[in-house]
Amino acid sequence: MPEPHRQSDRTAAARQADHASLVHISEGLVPALVARLQASGLGELEVREGDWKVRVRRPATTGSAVRRAERARPAVHGPAAPAAARAAEPVRTSDRERGVATSPAVGVFRAIAAAGARVRQGDRIGTVDLLGIPQDVVAPIDGTLVELFIETGDAVEYGEEIAAVEAPAPLPEPGAEGDEVTPA
Amino acid sequence: MISRVLIANRGEIALRILRACRTLGIEAVVAYSEADRSSLPALLADEAICIGPADARRSYLSAPAIISAALVTGCDAIHPGYGFLSEDDAFADAVRAHGLTFIGPSA
Repeated sequence: MPEPHRQSDRTAAARQADHASLVHISEGLVPALVARLQASGLGELEVREGDWKVRVRRPATTGSAVRRAERARPAVHGPAAPAAARAAEPVRTSDRERGVATSPAVGVFRAIAAAGARVRQGDRIGTVDLLGIPQDVVAPIDGTLVELFIETGDAVEYGEEIAAVEAPAPLPEPGAEGDEVTPA
Repeated sequence: MISRVLIANRGEIALRILRACRTLGIEAVVAYSEADRSSLPALLADEAICIGPADARRSYLSAPAIISAALVTGCDAIHPGYGFLSEDDAFADAVRAHGLTFIGPSA
């Protein structure tokens, strides 16, 4: 018989500890992460502290950062908490288009492409095994696969973010000075 | 012996099953559609897993999505509540075929 998991079973000390953690995360950790993110030029930072996981992500268009703190449950299988699922819609960063490939199903992920691979929109990045039937995870835009958030063998839920694809740097404006193509 | 149940329903039905699980000391995982991400059962469950979009045919009525969710979250039983797949004998058979317990009437 497993231990009951009742909310009322949580002791006052446990609640106190949670409260202290939240204060520490919101007042100390998050501002520090935001500062680090802005200084680094990275798109996303994630740290774990005890039972807590904090992810700070640069938003699509503005300069400030979005934060998402979620409770990590080490004892459970699969995704720890509902991930912010978004359709595979491209978002714009300062100069490069970035698209996020999301899971088409709930199941076990298997990577096909590796970080650094060149992909075209619709190319298979990996599959999600839904009771033995592979469902394609596809690149949302043309570009380079810059990061895989999920490893082969990990469970994913529907809509979970799996990989980021970054478009090549934009072409120079028409009429701008560029390399002349000279016949050989 | 059931120790971890996947609740494949939403709203008040899911909450009632969740409460029953708590009373019995059984862990409960709530399977939810994108439309119910911030619903009470999804927030109160021991774990919550998104199984599909708002369209119920691709979430609460999708037997593969629900069974897959139960398997990846380590559940040993599925409670479909009432409505949706609760009276679908093919679903009950599929649940058993994957080594899981279908919680509901036998016939």
